[in-house]
Amino acid sequence: MNANDPSTSEELLTRALAGEAAAFGMLVRAHQAAVYSLALRMLSDRHEAEDLAQEVFLGLHRHLASVESALHLEFWLRKVTVNRAIDHLRRRPRNDLSLEDAGVLISDTTDSDPLLQRRLRTLLAQLPPAPRAVMLLRYQEDLNPNEIARTLNMSINTVKSHLQRSLATLRERLGANGHSQCGAGPLGCFTDETGSLT
Amino acid sequence: MSNELNDRLRAALRPVDPGERFTQSVLARIASEPAASRPTVRPMRNASLPWLSATALATLVALALMIEHQHKAQHVEAGLEARRQVMEALRVTSEKLDVAYRVVKDKDLPGTEKRGA
Repeated sequence: MNANDPSTSEELLTRALAGEAAAFGMLVRAHQAAVYSLALRMLSDRHEAEDLAQEVFLGLHRHLASVESALHLEFWLRKVTVNRAIDHLRRRPRNDLSLEDAGVLISDTTDSDPLLQRRLRTLLAQLPPAPRAVMLLRYQEDLNPNEIARTLNMSINTVKSHLQRSLATLRERLGANGHSQCGAGPLGCFTDETGSLT
Repeated sequence: MSNELNDRLRAALRPVDPGERFTQSVLARIASEPAASRPTVRPMRNASLPWLSATALATLVALALMIEHQHKAQHVEAGLEARRQVMEALRVTSEKLDVAYRVVKDKDLPGTEKRGA
């Protein structure tokens, strides 16, 4: 059974609502990577991310009766995860995380340029929480700006502004660290895609 | 050339699965939670729901019409009772006036005879 199939997700949701623990377990299995990765990249700490992700699923279990569909379930999970992570960051003392560690901790890729990817993750971890959440929803969850605006309860213009500024910051910092922005550098010429995301 | 940064970001931000141990931890924590915090079962959440709503709505409308009808009937009954009381009052008044008229008429009889003589 593929829990990512919409009809299967609906069926699992119905069975979980009827109190079937195995069905709820399959829902957790289907969504845990997204929830955990959002938490991990927001918090840059594995233990805190795991705790937060578990709390999100416990909250889901308590509020399962208010979930109307599989799509609503995904929306609810992303919204609650990001909001809880932002709250957590507000309470956390500043500068208690090595940003270089953040890149290492989040590393889980088989890409051909792991150093550059690690650098990108480190730079993302340096962004303030709101633009970081916007970037994660855009590039990890592949949401469009309208969906991000609904998830984070922001205006569409704020979302686009966060995307443009964050991409500009990444380009600038990558450039400042020895990567040319155009030509011989590892990324060639950068252009962002926010202009086409209306 | 144009979307290389976007592609690199997507590659760098691939979801990381925390593994089966995570799933088991979540389920264990749910199992250890008190029953009060477990979700309420919602057995009829699909096709039967609209029919249930329609039936409930129809029942409410019928109840409202019945109450309205009873209210009107009570109103008419109260009107009839008021009318009956007014008629009774008029009848009593009429009788009293009759009696008064007869008394006055009896007292006036001698004078009438005088005028006639």
